[in-house]
Amino acid sequence: MLHYIIKRLLLMIPTLLGVAVLIFVLMRVVPGDVVEARYLTQGSQFLSQDLMNIERKKLGLDQPIWKQFTSWMGGLARLDFGLSMWTGAPITEEIKLRFELSLQLAIMATVVATLLAIPLGIIAAVKQDTWVDYAVRIFSIAGLAMPSFWLGILMILAMLILFKWLPPMVYTPFWVNPWENLAQLIWPALAVGYRYSAVATRMMRSAMLEVLREDYIRTARAKGLWLKLILTRHALKNAMLPVITVIGLEFAFLMGGLVVTEQVFNLNGLGMLFVEAISHRDYTLTQALVLIVASVFIFVNFLTDIAYAWLDPRIRYR
Amino acid sequence: MKRLMGILAVAASALLAFPLQAQTPRYGGDLVFPVPSEPPSYDGHREETFGLIHPLAPFYNTLLRVDPNDPGGTKPYPSLAESWTVSADGRTYNFKLRRGVKFHDGSAMTSKDVKASYDKIIFPPAGVGSSRKGQYAVVEAVEAPDAYTVRFKLKYASGSFIASLLSPYNFIYSADILAKDMHWYEKNIMGTGPFTLVEHVKGSHVLGKKNPDYWDKGKPYLDGFRAIFIRSSSAQVAAVRGERAHIQFRGFTPADRDSLKAALGDKITVQESAWDCILLVAINHEKKPFDDKRVRRALTLALDRHQASTALSRIAIVKSVAGVQVPGTPFATPPEELNKLAGYWTDIDKSRAESRRLLKEAGVPEGFSFTFTNRGIPMPYEPLAVWMIDQWRQVGLNVKQEVIEPAAYYGTIRKGDAQVFMDFQCGYIVEPDLDMYKFLSADRNPANYGRYTDRVLDDLYDKQSRATNVEERKKLIRAFEKRLLDEEAHYLMTLQWHRIIPHSSKVKGWQVTPSHYLNNTLDVVWLTQ
Repeated sequence: MLHYIIKRLLLMIPTLLGVAVLIFVLMRVVPGDVVEARYLTQGSQFLSQDLMNIERKKLGLDQPIWKQFTSWMGGLARLDFGLSMWTGAPITEEIKLRFELSLQLAIMATVVATLLAIPLGIIAAVKQDTWVDYAVRIFSIAGLAMPSFWLGILMILAMLILFKWLPPMVYTPFWVNPWENLAQLIWPALAVGYRYSAVATRMMRSAMLEVLREDYIRTARAKGLWLKLILTRHALKNAMLPVITVIGLEFAFLMGGLVVTEQVFNLNGLGMLFVEAISHRDYTLTQALVLIVASVFIFVNFLTDIAYAWLDPRIRYR
Repeated sequence: MKRLMGILAVAASALLAFPLQAQTPRYGGDLVFPVPSEPPSYDGHREETFGLIHPLAPFYNTLLRVDPNDPGGTKPYPSLAESWTVSADGRTYNFKLRRGVKFHDGSAMTSKDVKASYDKIIFPPAGVGSSRKGQYAVVEAVEAPDAYTVRFKLKYASGSFIASLLSPYNFIYSADILAKDMHWYEKNIMGTGPFTLVEHVKGSHVLGKKNPDYWDKGKPYLDGFRAIFIRSSSAQVAAVRGERAHIQFRGFTPADRDSLKAALGDKITVQESAWDCILLVAINHEKKPFDDKRVRRALTLALDRHQASTALSRIAIVKSVAGVQVPGTPFATPPEELNKLAGYWTDIDKSRAESRRLLKEAGVPEGFSFTFTNRGIPMPYEPLAVWMIDQWRQVGLNVKQEVIEPAAYYGTIRKGDAQVFMDFQCGYIVEPDLDMYKFLSADRNPANYGRYTDRVLDDLYDKQSRATNVEERKKLIRAFEKRLLDEEAHYLMTLQWHRIIPHSSKVKGWQVTPSHYLNNTLDVVWLTQ
């Protein structure tokens, strides 16, 4: 198992390096730069080429690409992401607050999704082709069909019209004021968690159905084992494998992919920061964010692989 | 009878007195407002976005300001300068500064701070960026003859110099701090304004609290303010509707106004104004057949601006038919005169017939195709483009729209490949020098994307800029406008933007103006509860 873990950890290094090179090149290929985004988009009357040249020099954008790349890679080697080209603030400072919010939302949405998906998927599989199964399938298909931001808009409108109340607009950390924090984040967590659960529910149901048709389950039933015991001890562990993959990948996606939902609920998360960094052509911040999200994806995949190996011993002995 | 008359008189006087009492400012409360954009840095001299003005203007003062009660947003009003005089030749301006003004760190504000701030704006040292340096090309020197006098010496008399000092971006900084570090204000906030900074949480909000030592005694009325950064317009509307915010200072759409009014009734007050922002159609003079002024005139003649004003103002943030100045402002051309220009005629059939004639004369065939390049911003770029494409179709032109992502847009335009495309300008004050600079020859203004050279136009601009007589200046502006929009049709005007501010009726003391950069100091704003 240790050998397996070390191998997986070492594989992360070339993957991240590849991501770093790719995002650096891609950002330079996209037209426009941070100086143009800053001075050409506001419709001001007095455009000064001198000012743009000063700003480009200040940001090192007048340097050859290879020099910009080596300087960035040098910083990465020291775990220094550098300064945001847009704000001039350290990138770690820009990301810190947003990361906290995105992480909390991703955890909350994952909890909501897991609490919905696993029991519903099992029930639907066990009660296959009964009204319970149909109800679960309708519930999950509705979740798949409904974008979470749209559900979020509906939630906000319902709160506004029915209760004349709106969730807080400013993020308060959980340890500062748990009530205020939950009052803001529970709604997006429900909206996102519902869509997320829909995918996982369907996966859980089909995996469970497959496992329930296996010989060892039939044998367990034939020898008169209690159904609850068969499900929890024998079926669930094996049926969880694809569900864990879905949950893991969705979790990683939630860390940087909730752009529209963040806009709807005015959440100061990584998704919004990502979009702003790209639209401002903030090369350094975008590069750092891509690396962070890629690291989350890789780490979650790593954890998924470890969970696989734990759930299915054949994997670690391969 | 006498008693009855007496009671009626008392009742009448009470009724008359009531509105006055109701308008007496109330102290206390925190104003909450969404800001659709966040400042990249804190330096007003460097940045160009309202995202800096809305949350940061309350921390600063400028030398002069626009009268906060002037709906036109053009009248100069004392701020740190309490009075000023102009020499007979119009080249020397002396400003008397207020005494007893303190920065938030307790140090006294004097003329050396004003001089240092304006030197940074007009004559920035190497490596320091100033967005408004070009605007003060007329200034020869800034002097501080004594602690409470600032003198501006001009190269020539200018009709717009005072207006240029009304810029809300020209925060007065501490000379001592600037002497130590010219970039200090990019990352720090410390002014003389009515509010002091509590915190700025990046991506979230800026919090300000009342400055107890503010020089204008009795002000501000508010205890503080919270500027919340909300990018999504639907979330901004929801914030006002859910009474989580009092006001958004930039502007909402007609649909937003109507939905807020329908939902909140008297709890919402709506203020509207023509908006000193306009989308322009730039025509690349280096691309055939647009190098021919007959083709350019045909493009403007095809547009029914009057009908569009009625129709588009219901769905978009545009309204007035405008020339080079915001309608209703001191130098704007009156409608009856404006309607004589090509593209502004009230008889659209006659206008389109002329458009077709000019196209034929220029050898442009029926069904001629070209690409209209547009910026990927829905409001109001999209409805205006759809409208224009339809109008051009009606004179036999076949126009394809190409939409480019906002951040890449101007980089693409500056390459010079686009044929006909949307351009944009927004001003902090309605002033001909500012509003017309855009249209100078490309070698004088790199933001002229039409890529033309017109020395007659340049000459008219320079003359109006130096004209100190208002009537003479108006004549020169009319001549400039006629050449730009009619004779040469270098650029086309779409419709003037229309600013709609539906705000909580609790907000008092705030006056809408044509500029969303003005009236954000918040010193005169108060809340009824």
